[in-house]
Amino acid sequence: MRRLLLSIAAAGSLSMPAYAAEQGERIQVTGELIDTWCYFSGVMGGPDAVVGSAHHTCALWCSAGGIPVGLLGEDGKVYMVLKIQDDDASASGDTLLSLASHQIEADGLFYERDGLNYIVVENVVADNDITYRNHEDYGAVPGFAVPDPNK
Amino acid sequence: MKKLIVLLAFVASPLTAQDFSEGSEAKTWNLAGETPARFEAKVVDILCELTGDCPDNCGDGRRQLGLVRAADNVLVYPNKNSQPAFTGAAVEMLPFCGKDVEVDGLMIEDAELGAQNIYLLQKIRETGAEEWTKANRWTKEWAKNHPEAKGKGPWFRRDPRVKESIAKDGYFGLGLDVDKVYYEDNF
Repeated sequence: MRRLLLSIAAAGSLSMPAYAAEQGERIQVTGELIDTWCYFSGVMGGPDAVVGSAHHTCALWCSAGGIPVGLLGEDGKVYMVLKIQDDDASASGDTLLSLASHQIEADGLFYERDGLNYIVVENVVADNDITYRNHEDYGAVPGFAVPDPNK
Repeated sequence: MKKLIVLLAFVASPLTAQDFSEGSEAKTWNLAGETPARFEAKVVDILCELTGDCPDNCGDGRRQLGLVRAADNVLVYPNKNSQPAFTGAAVEMLPFCGKDVEVDGLMIEDAELGAQNIYLLQKIRETGAEEWTKANRWTKEWAKNHPEAKGKGPWFRRDPRVKESIAKDGYFGLGLDVDKVYYEDNF
């Protein structure tokens, strides 16, 4: 019985998450720095329209507005950016704003919690600028991002 | 002994998804993946929570803040405040850094896009407090911090950093020549 109780208690401790801060896993991710609210919520359309050059002005607004920036990797996963090089300003910070919509090659530390992926970018290995020129297909998203000069 | 075993077995079982919509007064945004959610939580600096890098006062507004839900220890990530103005939630939560709070808003889930425990914060109060604070202070805080940008129109048309970026790289970020072509074709 004692053994049974010990094994049940051990199982209990295993199923309760240990949330102490931990070492991240070293990863390299190539992807676009995106505005996560528009991407996750679908508030402005499908995922292909709320990235790239079409959504660049909105990505600037959202980054300046303190909406979390994510790194949309080539693996299709979104990594929520918590720090980029020496800049821990993940809410409306200058570094993330300057890289809005850019494709970067990032080397950093990966964390996962409760279904979301996080990255601490230690080094931007390459900044490839904006590579996804989807404004040719979608125009500006949202449309009013580019002001009508006739109004 | 039987009771003890049942109790331990309960503790050992994985926590199942819970419904936090009861009592919520959250207003809909008519988003496909939204669910009203009102719950108690602790306000945390997410970078600190995950890595142990913990400055005073949750980074004084530089960092994104999260909600560790009291019921199940899940880290909820508020991406958005209640203003329809491209504005996040960290400013709204900073006065509650490290405190136990109750929040009301919309949970956003989309398994295909990887959205899980993403939250739109509509109001917040310290646990046990009577009065709610609406999560709509962002634009007022921005105006306080940018007196030089006073004027007509929404903040995002007047923000100095945004204006500087658009003046340099254009609305599509590809240079002013690309904007010129777009204007010629569309207006």
